[in-house]
Amino acid sequence: MWEYKKRLEYPVKIKNPNPALAKVIISQLGGPDGELGAAMRYLNQRYVAPCNQVKAILSDIGTEELAHMEIVSAILYQLTKGLSIKEIKESGFDTYFVDHTTGIYPQAASGTPFSALTFQSTGDPITDLTEDLAAEQKARLTYDNILRLADDPDVRDPIKFLRAREIVHFQRFGEGLRMVQDQLDAKNFYAFNPSFDL
Amino acid sequence: MDAKNKLLNKIRQYYFSLVEANLYLDSHPTCKEGLAYFKKYKALYEQAKEEYEKNYAPLDLLSGIRDDKWAWASEPWPWEGSEN
Repeated sequence: MWEYKKRLEYPVKIKNPNPALAKVIISQLGGPDGELGAAMRYLNQRYVAPCNQVKAILSDIGTEELAHMEIVSAILYQLTKGLSIKEIKESGFDTYFVDHTTGIYPQAASGTPFSALTFQSTGDPITDLTEDLAAEQKARLTYDNILRLADDPDVRDPIKFLRAREIVHFQRFGEGLRMVQDQLDAKNFYAFNPSFDL
Repeated sequence: MDAKNKLLNKIRQYYFSLVEANLYLDSHPTCKEGLAYFKKYKALYEQAKEEYEKNYAPLDLLSGIRDDKWAWASEPWPWEGSEN
């Protein structure tokens, strides 16, 4: 089960709305390498992990990703608060506004809605953990690109926090993958699925 | 920053230390330094959380009642930017 803590993992306080920037940052909520996909990836993969430590890593990082969805959503909410119709039209936010007003909807910056096709749960922990390492790198890269596009220090600050977490998660998944590999038969390293064949 | 938000920031920092220690200990469960770090920040977090909830607002469900009222639903929500 889960319990909600009524505070953000990292604070978000944005003084100036900027709907054009929200249109870009929304990719880290519902885009191909966003936080929703990250949470769903790890929280679905964890059930068949072959050892308790890897179950813990997937559960705990998956849980932190839920908190990161909330941070990204708080950024989007504050960037689109109190807009006039003129600002909405001029910023290009009108294509989002027509479907969602200023509600938070998980989609990519391109407008493609979130899709479970952006992640896998293969039932093979070596395959899954290798995907998880790539996923953390892709999310880090997306935050790098957001930092290239965002000038507002109120936005950059929480984005930098989220970027740093991708690097820590990458490290932890690397340790998880090593744990699984250490338990394999060295002569038969990639030939079987340790969650199914053993 | 007012006293309420200063304390909330402390809580956030202490709990973040626990999250970081949590992930580290998952793969280093016998690290003495890691275990001591977790214990240290758990005590700091619990103390600061108790002080905040006594003086300001609930941070989790179990402290939802304040002054015989259901404060959980009536206090501002975190994404609104009133924290900080």
